[in-house]
Amino acid sequence: MMDRNRDWRRFQPRLRREALGELALAVAVVLFGALVLYETTQIRVTPAYSKVGPRVIPYIVGTGLVLVGLWLTIQALVGKSAAPSTESEDVDVTLPTDWVTVGGIAVALVVYLLLIERAGFVVASAVLYVGAAFAMGSRRLVRDIPVGVALAVVVYLVFTRGLDLRLPAGVFEGLD
Amino acid sequence: MGALGDLAGGFGTALSPENLFWALVGVLLGTAVGVLPGIGPALTVALLLPVTYSLEPVSAFIMFAGIYYGGMYGGSTTSILLNTPGESASIVTAIEGNLMAKRGRGAAALATAAIGSFVAGTIGTLGLTFLAPVMVEVALKFGAAEYFALVVLAFTTITALLGSSLSRGLLSLFAGLAVGLVGIDTLSGQSRFTFGIPQLLDGIDVVTVAVGLFAVGETFWVASRLRHGAEEVVPVRGSVWMTREEWRRSWKPWLRGTAVGFPIGSLPAGGAEIPTFLSYSMEKQLTKHPEEFGKGAIEGVAGPEAANNASAAGVLVPLLTLGLPTSATAAIMLAAFQRYGLDPGPLLFDQDPDLVWGLIASLYIGNVMLLVLNLPLAGVWVRLLAIPRPLLYAGILVFAGLGTYSLNNSTVDLVVLYILGGVGFLMRRFDIPVAPAVVGVILGPVAEDHFRRALQISQGDYTVFVTRPLSLAILLCVALALLAPLALRTMRRRRERVGRRVAAS
Repeated sequence: MMDRNRDWRRFQPRLRREALGELALAVAVVLFGALVLYETTQIRVTPAYSKVGPRVIPYIVGTGLVLVGLWLTIQALVGKSAAPSTESEDVDVTLPTDWVTVGGIAVALVVYLLLIERAGFVVASAVLYVGAAFAMGSRRLVRDIPVGVALAVVVYLVFTRGLDLRLPAGVFEGLD
Repeated sequence: MGALGDLAGGFGTALSPENLFWALVGVLLGTAVGVLPGIGPALTVALLLPVTYSLEPVSAFIMFAGIYYGGMYGGSTTSILLNTPGESASIVTAIEGNLMAKRGRGAAALATAAIGSFVAGTIGTLGLTFLAPVMVEVALKFGAAEYFALVVLAFTTITALLGSSLSRGLLSLFAGLAVGLVGIDTLSGQSRFTFGIPQLLDGIDVVTVAVGLFAVGETFWVASRLRHGAEEVVPVRGSVWMTREEWRRSWKPWLRGTAVGFPIGSLPAGGAEIPTFLSYSMEKQLTKHPEEFGKGAIEGVAGPEAANNASAAGVLVPLLTLGLPTSATAAIMLAAFQRYGLDPGPLLFDQDPDLVWGLIASLYIGNVMLLVLNLPLAGVWVRLLAIPRPLLYAGILVFAGLGTYSLNNSTVDLVVLYILGGVGFLMRRFDIPVAPAVVGVILGPVAEDHFRRALQISQGDYTVFVTRPLSLAILLCVALALLAPLALRTMRRRRERVGRRVAAS
């Protein structure tokens, strides 16, 4: 009996945070639905299409989102929340969110966005590869940099030469 | 005779050296991504959609089909040796398969899974060969109202039967539908939800959605809670071949699994999870060795694996004959058809028999290739699991960027990709299934098209969906699909309550 009480006390703060998260999700969904409904009123309708025009389905989708949001609100308020998060092979769901790693990957992605048209696909991809691996805890740059560069070059050649895709050459412009 | 003649023509197409090459590429890629965590066949096909710009349709679809079948084979290898299934369809295999591996019969588990997959895949493809022309005849009777009802049925089953809760499934579906609305409305030419951004006029590409939700979302999710210390891979020991006893215990579950999997897969309700669970409980009932269940019974691997692959073949029936995808991978294959300007459905069988039958013939070939690749080489594939996770996910991001940027050579797509990646992360955090959103994005515009066309024909009379008998029948199935899980859940809860009362007394 004692054990159970102690467990419960330790469990409660997490539970309350979870319920708050659920509530935030539910409210966000209602707002999203409201945005869809508002934007639907902004769609221009020509009289010829008044019956089943471009607004009908958006109204249904917006209403659906609001209703689902309200449903989730009720579920959150009565404390009925589903399993906390999705299982996955490489994920330990009991861990708290590691924002440093997530932030590191976000930075690598933004750098990629900035580089791809300026420095080209190969440079941007290699930087993204090494940066993301570093963010996720890999510290062996001697291995990661050659792997990243090789991957970027091979992918570039296979897709531009083999499959006729156009990718920005960037700093290697005119090297063909 | 018709189907056989068509199939012979299909083999003519599929056996060309070029198409054999793409089939091999497909099954190799498919097995690899099936084994690897973090990526599945749906994502792989989405990432490869840009090849549709330069590849012949038939070659592209032969490769995609190889990825689709290969993913199933690879997934079973992971679940047997690692006990963490890569796909929801392999959950059941992991139960008995991993226990078998721990008992030293891992090789036999892999063999029964691979041979069972081959048997089921081949019988399933035979089923597809003969069922597809029949379905085409039926489909020719469908009008816009029926097609709309069918899409609603697909939405319902994908939403209601997967994931942990109906409300979350619906949230995912409606969010996907909303994303699908972005862009120019094809019927009226009005722009919708573009927020004045010209690049959004063409809509948000399916590739961006799938890659954002699957690849970037999964990478963020893994990064946020990376499991430290790798999972233990059970080494493959013992005789590589199944003993006579194991053969004897396997062949009936293979056939039973096929018998369960193919019909369920080919219903426009689909999904590979349900048949695998059904097959597992069936084998548990029928086995002569009930004491082995829970300790590594071979029937518990053979049956569900066969069911899994047979239903994968079944899923292609509604995809090819009705243009109706019932899984995330099938939905992305539909997107590939749309990219080529092809419209899967009864007309495709008339207009492009080379493509359809070449694809079907390639499935037979792919199955043989997969058997050869997986039976002796399972140990090689497992080495893929040794790739350090930071390198694996960094590679996934590189391919995500490639697939998305190359769509339009536009950084706007990358911004959308990152936003959707964040959404994918939150969806995993809140346990919201991703598949309904992807299906919603792809099928939403299709549904709207049929909906409005049906109403134009009926001159705005909304009762058209319930006054046409076929459409009404399909909508009744929708109601059934919504109510059946609820009823099952209530029954289970009541049984649990009774059970607890018994235990308490």
